[in-house]
Amino acid sequence: MNLAPYYYLTKMRILTNLAYRFDVLVSIGTNLVLMVTAVFLWEAAFSSVPEKNGMGVRDMVAYSIVSTLLGTVFVCGVQDTIYHKVREGQIATDFYKPVPLLAVYFADDLGAVAGDFMIKAIPLLISGAIFFGLPLPESPLGFLLFLPSCVFSYLILWFLSAIVGLLAFWVMELGNMGLVKDAIVRVLSGSFVPVWFFPETLQWISKFLPFQYTYQTPLGIYIGVIGTAQALREMGIQLIWAAALFLVLALFWRKTKKKTLIQGG
Amino acid sequence: MLSVLRHYGSVAACYLRLTFQQQLEYPLFLVSWMLMIPIQYFAGIYLLKVIIDHFRHLNGWTYPDLVFIFGLGLLSHGLMVVFFINSWMIGRMVIDGTFDRLLLRPMNVFFQLIASYFNFIGLIDLIPGIIIFLYACSLVGFEWTLPNILKLVLILAGAVLIRAALFVMIGSIAFWTKKNAAVHNFALVILERTTMYPLNLYPYLIQALFTFVIPIGFISFYPASAFLDRDRFVLPFDLAILTPVIGLVFYGLSQLIFNWGLRKYESAGT
Repeated sequence: MNLAPYYYLTKMRILTNLAYRFDVLVSIGTNLVLMVTAVFLWEAAFSSVPEKNGMGVRDMVAYSIVSTLLGTVFVCGVQDTIYHKVREGQIATDFYKPVPLLAVYFADDLGAVAGDFMIKAIPLLISGAIFFGLPLPESPLGFLLFLPSCVFSYLILWFLSAIVGLLAFWVMELGNMGLVKDAIVRVLSGSFVPVWFFPETLQWISKFLPFQYTYQTPLGIYIGVIGTAQALREMGIQLIWAAALFLVLALFWRKTKKKTLIQGG
Repeated sequence: MLSVLRHYGSVAACYLRLTFQQQLEYPLFLVSWMLMIPIQYFAGIYLLKVIIDHFRHLNGWTYPDLVFIFGLGLLSHGLMVVFFINSWMIGRMVIDGTFDRLLLRPMNVFFQLIASYFNFIGLIDLIPGIIIFLYACSLVGFEWTLPNILKLVLILAGAVLIRAALFVMIGSIAFWTKKNAAVHNFALVILERTTMYPLNLYPYLIQALFTFVIPIGFISFYPASAFLDRDRFVLPFDLAILTPVIGLVFYGLSQLIFNWGLRKYESAGT
């Protein structure tokens, strides 16, 4: 398999992102506001109750900071890319490319991930550390488990985005359904309020949905609320979700491609 | 004078008819917004409930108080989105050249800008705002007396003016730089976090900044504090009354900046 075209796409994305310096600066500022306000909210919450569900204020501060970092790094441009290309018809020329289309979008997003890690996440981490202290992981082992867990999280999020993106081929007139998906992910992923705080029925339902395995799992491992044994179990669930969504995506993509060809006459 | 007013009125009515037809041409396109925006706001107050169930209060703000400020903030946001949405579009209009069209017509540029788009779609924001605010009113036992209603109307008018003024100023940046989208998103995030959550969650420096420099504390935080009698952390007089005053002043300032920008403006084209 020749990876050169994907490498080129990834590199180009990194370079384009670097080109808009002012936008990068303001984007860091925006994410910093999100981070800082979340931290202050949790500090206010923990000022009267020192510990909850085995978490103290330091844990939730670290949770919020790392959650913001993940939010800047987990770039899933694919859903908007497909949506706009289908609407404007550019998708037709993309089909001419001699490489699988979804792999092209994936390489493009990976470039954005790498670029945003360097130019957004690291400055954000430094500012977070200056304001609130470095959010250290609970243990070295926790950190080692956190990294692959993040990779699985990203795969789940990306496959979800690609599936929702493909909806544009079928129900174009309903607008960008990715917006709806994003709103649901924000709540149920635990990126702001961990699902552990939800009422028990909701927690139970959430266990059977992919969302909490995108943010809460790696973050819980990072702050040590999820121990080693449970971490491995949840990472297993992450892998199952990633594999299942990949399968759905592959099947859906095949069906969608056929439909596009018919539409194109 | 009267004929000028009548002329402006007829132009506004014409715009109104056009935008209504334009926005309802593809009603299904709104489905994703109609799902996304209510989910976002109702989930927002639900998450506050989840937090308060565990922690009782946030710096003295209980769940009913938090919903009240959230609802009040959302109401003025919804109204602003319905009436002043085009203040968000200045940057885009400068880039694609449509702004230059406004300059060619013998009519006030700012009037054309705002009147040319009455945003019915903004009701998707406004209606959840009304629902959440009414829910909050029943939670906190808001008294619907005449003075309270008058106060509420004045506060909302002031709050909408403050928001509109802020976006007009940000839009005016585009007259110099041709680009303001990034700053615009930055302002949206700040507004969301400071008008729908109590400002006193944040350090004094930030509170001072959003009270004296950029007066967005007056959009919902100070009025809500006054209504809820939570004024132990604010000045000893009814700050709610200040909202319309500050709204007018800030709005006037935004007009000065807008007109200054217009004089400096050179089209994006060649």
